[in-house]
Amino acid sequence: MGPLPVKRIKTLSVARPILYGNTAKKMGDVKPPNAPVEHSHMWTIFVKGPNGEDLSDIIKSVTFKLHETYPTPTRVVEAPPFELTETGWGEFEINVKIHFSDVAGEKPISFYHHLRLHKYHNSSAANGVKSEGDLESTQVEATYYDEVVFNEPNEDFFKILMSKPGYILRSNKTDDIVFSKQLESEEIDRIKIGLQKVDDEIDILKTKLSGFVKT
Amino acid sequence: MSSSDIFDVLNIQRTGSPGSSGATPAPSRTPKAQVSGMQRELYNLLGDNTPPVAIQKSTKFKDKLRAMAKPSPWTFAEFQPSPHVKLQHWVKGSKELVGQQPQTNTFGKYNTELTIPTFTKEEYDSFMGSTHEQIGSEKWEYSEIEGLFNLCRKYDLRWFVIQDRYEGKGGRTLEDIKEIFYYVCHQYFLMKSPDNPLVPSLNFSKEKEVERKKYLQRLLSRSAAEIAEEEALIVESKKFEMAAKRTSSERDSLLRLLDSPNADKPIGQFLTSQGMTQLYNSLLSDKSKKRKHDQVVPENPWMKQQQQFAQQKQQMQQLHDQKVSSSSNSNNNSNSNSNSQNAVKKTKKQKQEMQIAVKRKADSEYAEQLLKSFTADERKSMGVQLHGEKLPSGAYLRSTRISTFKAATQGKIATTLQELGLPARPAMPTYEVIRYHEALLSRINNLLDLKKQVDKLEAERDIKN
Repeated sequence: MGPLPVKRIKTLSVARPILYGNTAKKMGDVKPPNAPVEHSHMWTIFVKGPNGEDLSDIIKSVTFKLHETYPTPTRVVEAPPFELTETGWGEFEINVKIHFSDVAGEKPISFYHHLRLHKYHNSSAANGVKSEGDLESTQVEATYYDEVVFNEPNEDFFKILMSKPGYILRSNKTDDIVFSKQLESEEIDRIKIGLQKVDDEIDILKTKLSGFVKT
Repeated sequence: MSSSDIFDVLNIQRTGSPGSSGATPAPSRTPKAQVSGMQRELYNLLGDNTPPVAIQKSTKFKDKLRAMAKPSPWTFAEFQPSPHVKLQHWVKGSKELVGQQPQTNTFGKYNTELTIPTFTKEEYDSFMGSTHEQIGSEKWEYSEIEGLFNLCRKYDLRWFVIQDRYEGKGGRTLEDIKEIFYYVCHQYFLMKSPDNPLVPSLNFSKEKEVERKKYLQRLLSRSAAEIAEEEALIVESKKFEMAAKRTSSERDSLLRLLDSPNADKPIGQFLTSQGMTQLYNSLLSDKSKKRKHDQVVPENPWMKQQQQFAQQKQQMQQLHDQKVSSSSNSNNNSNSNSNSQNAVKKTKKQKQEMQIAVKRKADSEYAEQLLKSFTADERKSMGVQLHGEKLPSGAYLRSTRISTFKAATQGKIATTLQELGLPARPAMPTYEVIRYHEALLSRINNLLDLKKQVDKLEAERDIKN
């Protein structure tokens, strides 16, 4: 790395929502010519904005580290859209490494995504982590919402972050865009209910406890 | 390389070389010892020029006594340990110095005699008079007392010898004899000189003495098994101590959980050791009020004694400190000096903190300045936030900053979340969601703590019932 504009804006942080995940579709008889015969699915792993933005203002490149059995398993995507399409037959963990633009001067962040090719009916809806497009029975989608937090960004990068409107969440969730303000408030409500339950239980235990101590 | 090579190089004709010297035998050859390494090389270089005398380590004998001084004279002199006996012993010094007259014994001064009172029968009767009945149940005749006092005088109050030689009534124990002796002495001095400082010390309690001896007897006649048992008991009592300590600390945490009024008070007054004991006592009394069965835990007498010792030591230390501080003003001065230094340090630290605070304020003001044109809503949608805290700078995914707990707790929290129907990782880790999630996690942690305590108390109660 070259000389960086080191002046960071203290006590300030900027968060950008991102989506990452994969879509997968079972291939029929029509297969890409170079695909091995045992490959049954075609999948695409992606990193994008909450409304499908390409995120090129903050991301320089994304590195996907695939299973070692793939030829050249480390794939670098240096231009938007930051996604990678492959064929395969099995699920595995993909290491995703996001390199931020040079202006940002931030270290890359890295996380894992479990490639999903099949539907799990029991777990998906219950824990709310995954959202699946149920439009087509053959299409599988596993998308995660997260936020990249730039704590104390340098001034140049801050200008960039502020010049473009942040990726604003939709207020209502729709079929193709699930992550929205509505989902957020729903989740907050759920957690609030959980908090209430826990508090109730704590109160019960407290009375029990004081009963023990007094006797 | 051998010596002959060197001699060749230097063109030296040797007389002792094997070729030319048939006539002179080489006597030095024969005693040559087998040598190796560096030493061999050295001998090779030396050739036949070995030193004529073999230097060998000889066993060293003790140096001859070389006394230069004249022996000091000793005299076999006569001396007189007592008026009746004359003995001789060796004394340092010449005959002239020592002199002819028999010396007195230097140890004579140690030959002292106790002043044991003597009295006649009339005196005895007069000072014993009415109190005859008080000494035990039996009567002591003057003759017996006289014999006893004579024995005491003769054997310098060596009680065992006295008892052995005792010729009075049979069946007198050592304690009986001692008691009557001291009692008679007491009475005697009371009559003769009531102001004598010895009087109060002539106070012999037979019961105590007997008890003491019995106790020692018991102590010394313990069997090995009993000793082992005692030690085991001590270990056991220590365990009790530990358990008591643990429970008390648990109780404390419990009380804290229950928001006992104690927890809210400032702790400043309890920082000194005195305050600590006060707090401890108050807690103890508090608890004994609340929970009667706390008193089941027995106190360890050894620990108690140790505490007493520690307290005494502390008191002495304090006294000493006071003395030191009051006696030397210079010390005081240095103390105040260090105090002022401390103050300086403190202010320095405060200054630093102030500087940091000012800087942070400036930072946040600057950041505020940058965001001046945005409304709160806009800021929120842009994801900009002024947290005003000192957090490590850099980029991260928000979901990776959810608090974690100890491995055991983490698992329990995860199950609790599952029971509540909530995911371990929120589906939308936005700032707000994470804030609530964090609150939830800490509440669950509290809940688990409470549950643990309640379970423990329940188990305790079950054991008791």
